[in-house]
Amino acid sequence: MKKTNTKQFQHRFIAMLLSSLLGLPFMTRAQDDLEKELGGMSSKGEKVMATFKSGKLINLHTNETIHKNELDFKVDHRFGDIAGSNGGISQFFGLDNSTDIRIGFDYGITDRLTVGLARAKGATAVQQLIELSLKLRLVEQTIDDQVPVSITGFLSHTTAAVKANREDPTAATSYQKFTDRMSYVSQLIIARKFSPGFSLVLIPTYIHRNYTQFNDQNELFALGGGGRLKLNKRISFVVDYTVPFRNSQQKSYLEDINLKKFYNTLGVGLEMETGGHVFHLNFTNATAIQEMQFIPETTTSWTKGQYRWGFSISRRFSFNKHKK
Amino acid sequence: MRKLIFLIILSLTVHIGFAQDIWISKNATVNFFSSTVVEDIEAKSNTGASVINAKNSEMIFKVSNTSFRFPKKLMEEHFNENYMESDKFPYSEFKGKISGAFNTEKDGNYQVTVSGNLSIHGITKAYSVPATISVAKGTLSAKTAFKIRIADHGIKVPSLVFKNIAETIDVKIQASYLPKQ
Repeated sequence: MKKTNTKQFQHRFIAMLLSSLLGLPFMTRAQDDLEKELGGMSSKGEKVMATFKSGKLINLHTNETIHKNELDFKVDHRFGDIAGSNGGISQFFGLDNSTDIRIGFDYGITDRLTVGLARAKGATAVQQLIELSLKLRLVEQTIDDQVPVSITGFLSHTTAAVKANREDPTAATSYQKFTDRMSYVSQLIIARKFSPGFSLVLIPTYIHRNYTQFNDQNELFALGGGGRLKLNKRISFVVDYTVPFRNSQQKSYLEDINLKKFYNTLGVGLEMETGGHVFHLNFTNATAIQEMQFIPETTTSWTKGQYRWGFSISRRFSFNKHKK
Repeated sequence: MRKLIFLIILSLTVHIGFAQDIWISKNATVNFFSSTVVEDIEAKSNTGASVINAKNSEMIFKVSNTSFRFPKKLMEEHFNENYMESDKFPYSEFKGKISGAFNTEKDGNYQVTVSGNLSIHGITKAYSVPATISVAKGTLSAKTAFKIRIADHGIKVPSLVFKNIAETIDVKIQASYLPKQ
């Protein structure tokens, strides 16, 4: 037994000796080993790109900002109710009306910081909205999952230019002074790209409205969530949902007074992308486009047929010097 | 024990002997150009990696697709997301053999042909391209230029942006190698 062991060892030794002399180990290892020499090609710390295709899902923002020196021009449109008492064939399934229209410009100061200027019609009595916004990437997900999520902060300041209501002192627009017209939205947009085709986002939101309808909340917390599922390289299915945390006493008071219930918002849609254009076609029960409006004040429900067509078109322009 | 020491010494000398044959480049530059009537697009990566085994003339070249920089950031995003699908295929890689004589011990320019398989976007195609290897003062550098038909690698350009992206892309590669330490 021992003898065979020694013999085996000797054989192996001779084989090793021969092969090292002839350079055999190298030849057998060949290109796979040559590839090892390359080493260092890890994606360590590399940031995940394009968690979403655009800055917005349907109603909610995504973590994406505009690249440096690029301008994003975006038009959002929400039509009237498709069905229910305000919809149907007489309203051409909502296409005769528009509940809200928003025209926005977003510009990338750096790859991480975007500033925005927008004008929206406004879907409630609070109308003629002018929004200034800041969007800042705070944390970026990495490919190696060292950083598992991306976090973007969104801050928006909206001023309503609508004529103040002097007849009804309880109205949301019975402004006393100029600052009454202002509302603020702050969001932390936490996103993760799970796979090339699947991304999710979770958005804790805080809204402050300087002035509201009598006995409404000035301060409101809300939680939004959404996702994208790529159907193919160009078309994705997108969905988002928002839950505002209203004070139940004030909520039922307002629902009684206004004869309208408050609802969470649900949007579903398709996102199509070609070159510099992103096109959204969606359905949502939210009538408004601005966060300060659709989050606290959606009073239309999917179950009552109060959902609508919406679309958004965005076009990206680059102001980077084209190197020849 | 003595045998073992002998073996270790032997294998060490063997490895040192081989080491001079392995040449490594870590910051190779890869440029590519797409030129159409509508738009000229140029992208560049400085982090290509390559290794040459001067003994058996085998070579590998590898570049991370996300390392390419474009004049417009949105192009970079589209390049990775829509065309290269870098999530699925993070690297473009060439594995092949250098034919034609070159001597790493002797300064000079050597015209060679590199033949092998280029894998881009998960599709591998055989290429054979001329290259120049220059040896000067113990360093080795190589450069080459060739064309790639994007359709060969299953990269489809939608009709809307068809006029902006050329069917054939010009690629230029420049690499400086150092002997393996």
